[in-house]
Amino acid sequence: MTTNVMDWLDERVGWRAIWTMIFLRKIPKVNWLYTLGSATLFVAVNQIVTGILLTIYYVPTPDHAYDSVQYITTQLPAGWLIRGLHHWGASAMVVLAVIHMLRVIFYGSYKFPREMTWFTGVGLLLVVLGFGFTGYLLPWDQKAFWATTVGTRIAQVTPLIGDSILKLLRGGSDLSAVTLARFYGGHVWFLPVALMGLVSIHLYLIIRIGISAVPHRGE
Amino acid sequence: MGFPPSEKSMPRRQFLSLATWAIGGLIGLAYAIPGVAYLISPALQKASEKNWIPLGSTSKVELGTPTLFRANIERRSGWIVNQEEISVYVLTEDGRDFIAMSNVCTHLGCRVRWIADEDRFFCPCHNGQFDRQGNVISGPPPHALDRYEVRVEGDEMQVLGG
Repeated sequence: MTTNVMDWLDERVGWRAIWTMIFLRKIPKVNWLYTLGSATLFVAVNQIVTGILLTIYYVPTPDHAYDSVQYITTQLPAGWLIRGLHHWGASAMVVLAVIHMLRVIFYGSYKFPREMTWFTGVGLLLVVLGFGFTGYLLPWDQKAFWATTVGTRIAQVTPLIGDSILKLLRGGSDLSAVTLARFYGGHVWFLPVALMGLVSIHLYLIIRIGISAVPHRGE
Repeated sequence: MGFPPSEKSMPRRQFLSLATWAIGGLIGLAYAIPGVAYLISPALQKASEKNWIPLGSTSKVELGTPTLFRANIERRSGWIVNQEEISVYVLTEDGRDFIAMSNVCTHLGCRVRWIADEDRFFCPCHNGQFDRQGNVISGPPPHALDRYEVRVEGDEMQVLGG
């Protein structure tokens, strides 16, 4: 039965070839450190799923942000779990992305012909840090407020254009409702679009070129 | 490598594939079950408990004509507590028995008004009309105006709502 449906679908859309290309592709003999990219991707999916769920109740205005977060955490069933997964997942993203990067550096996997995979990976790391920076403000508690005050003031130290960066980030000279709204918009629209785009290219390149083998002495 | 798979044992590749699907399915469920509970929970909330709401003095009710009373109630939705005003029409023919009617039209929820000249409640949205006791005279409303339970404490009228 299932096989019949799968055959019917395959005849029409050719999914088996794509499946094989993605999941049954040949890889060199590698070790567990080569799973760090997949681990990062898994946590990214966790962030997307739990993040979408959080938007159902979270309201990004100074009047409601803190209270809506408290409502999610204390009133809704599994709200604490979903928020907790998103919170800890955010830290896990940064940690996993960085050690994935270290593996790529130490095994020399960034070299020809994989430079573009490396470049998109660097872009992805910046996107992940952007998620962390914007997401940190959203609970709108004291820690969020002062961390963003400090974070944007650090950006202000940039020579020549520092003041402009601060105003661009805050949407004015003060940290305000405008800041909260633009951090939210950045967190749920701009950065996710960038993430999807870069992840797509990153994965396409991995499948097209194949992963690098563990380098050996004398090669 | 060396040993061909025996008749009974499952090939390694098939076992790993099955295990991957099983673990993946469990992880999927671990997200889906809390996720669904989280999403549908506000829809499953029971209506807030009813309380006796003071309307005002019985002496303010005109005999034989519906008199409008307003009362403030507190309503909690999500993380917001709202003060809401409810409007209640009270009718008494003898000053002892009171009927308290909601001013919410039973058709689609607009607010009805008592038009004294025509001796009827009128709903501006779709021309629903009710008599002084709230029964439908004409128009689309499917049934009479909803009534509140009334009690009188001293000379204060109270209705049960929330």
